[in-house]
Amino acid sequence: MTAGLDDRVDDHPTEGRLHRLRHHDATVWATMLVASLASLVASFVLSVDALRLAEDPSADLGCNINAVISCGTVAGSWQSQLLGFPNAFLGLVSEPVVITLAVASLGGVRFPRWFMAVAQGFYTIGLVFAYWLFQQAMFDIGALCPWCLLVTLATTLVFFELTYVNIRDDNLFLPRGVQRRLEALVRSNLDLVLVVVWILLMVLAVVLKYGDALFA
Amino acid sequence: MNQKARTRTQELRKQQQEAARRQTQRRRLVTALSAVVIVGLLAAIVWAVVDAAGGDDTPGATGDVTPPGNLSSQGSIPVGSDDAAVTVDLYYDYMCPACGAFEAANGEELTGLVEDGTVRVELHPMNFLDPTSNGTDYSTRAANAIATVADAAPGAVWDFHSALYANQPEEGTEGLSDEEIAGIAEDVGVPADVVDRFADRTFEAWVDSMNAAANQDGVTGTPTVLVDGEKFEGDLYSTGPLTEAIEAAAGGR
Repeated sequence: MTAGLDDRVDDHPTEGRLHRLRHHDATVWATMLVASLASLVASFVLSVDALRLAEDPSADLGCNINAVISCGTVAGSWQSQLLGFPNAFLGLVSEPVVITLAVASLGGVRFPRWFMAVAQGFYTIGLVFAYWLFQQAMFDIGALCPWCLLVTLATTLVFFELTYVNIRDDNLFLPRGVQRRLEALVRSNLDLVLVVVWILLMVLAVVLKYGDALFA
Repeated sequence: MNQKARTRTQELRKQQQEAARRQTQRRRLVTALSAVVIVGLLAAIVWAVVDAAGGDDTPGATGDVTPPGNLSSQGSIPVGSDDAAVTVDLYYDYMCPACGAFEAANGEELTGLVEDGTVRVELHPMNFLDPTSNGTDYSTRAANAIATVADAAPGAVWDFHSALYANQPEEGTEGLSDEEIAGIAEDVGVPADVVDRFADRTFEAWVDSMNAAANQDGVTGTPTVLVDGEKFEGDLYSTGPLTEAIEAAAGGR
């Protein structure tokens, strides 16, 4: 009887096609695939730029009036080479893994629990790194580069979908109570709301700080 | 017995309905709240974009541009003799690191060429990098200072210009304070009463107009260097190429 009651409450007859589309496997993996592809392209562009700049420090150092990436400032800062090589190289190495994961999953492959948990761990580190760079670019370096922004956005989306899947499939070895609460959160689409709000906040921050340069 | 069971079933169903109702209510509330937050953020973004797009049209457009005195006929700040063989136009921003690199490579060469009468430099200060000084508008403040010096102590313009680049702040910082700019001016011999006029910000509108004029001249980045009106396409960041181009232009006379 209790189980029946639970089922009844959890069943959302009012949530229609959108709800189902959002929670459909194909949507999740396709979003992750697109985001990781975008991130790979951006990493590639940034890597090429970094190499060009290393070859010839004066290349493109001029300050372009119409771009908010002013003067190669981001590429030239120490934050852009935290580990001794351009950060974008990390994207070149890690994004193909995510792409493979997304494609394989689209094709119906199910990865073992431990694999997904480890992926979650590594991607969380990547997310922290991306936001650290975003924060540095916003407040310390004072210049934004569109490709770096694309990486931040794409990383957010991949992290969101990966976390979603891992909560849904109970891959994270979490205490039962936490797991149940997170599942409820995901089922009510609050996680989606959170991500949308988060991305909009970022857009707002960028517009507030760089609007003058972007739209003047 | 039967009656009792039925009552219990009814009660259970009632509870069930009540729970479902509360659940739906909560979901509606959350949906409404989410919608409000999201719409609010979208509105804020639109407002910020409109504000940014509109905000920059006003300073250059509103009349009241007071140009400094001693400008050349083309409206920029001249350094050197009117009879010089070659004119070199510099479009630059005091915040632009590449302009600093250009000055480091070519400043002394230009000083020599100005002194021996080969070159007249025309300074076109710009302020499009104002957004990169954390709200202090360093580009405009520095350009206003150079305009004030051009107005009242034209002999010190080049030295002050060079000194500003020698002390160039890093992009993305607040830049030099007004006091620091004043100190640099005093160090290169700008009279104290002229330095005091920096604070009047008399020529800020003129700096805006110079920035707009540069855009109209087709300047897309800084530094942009013209030799006798032709854009110099060579290496701006090492000593020599620009000097050679200038000497070639002078020899052609």
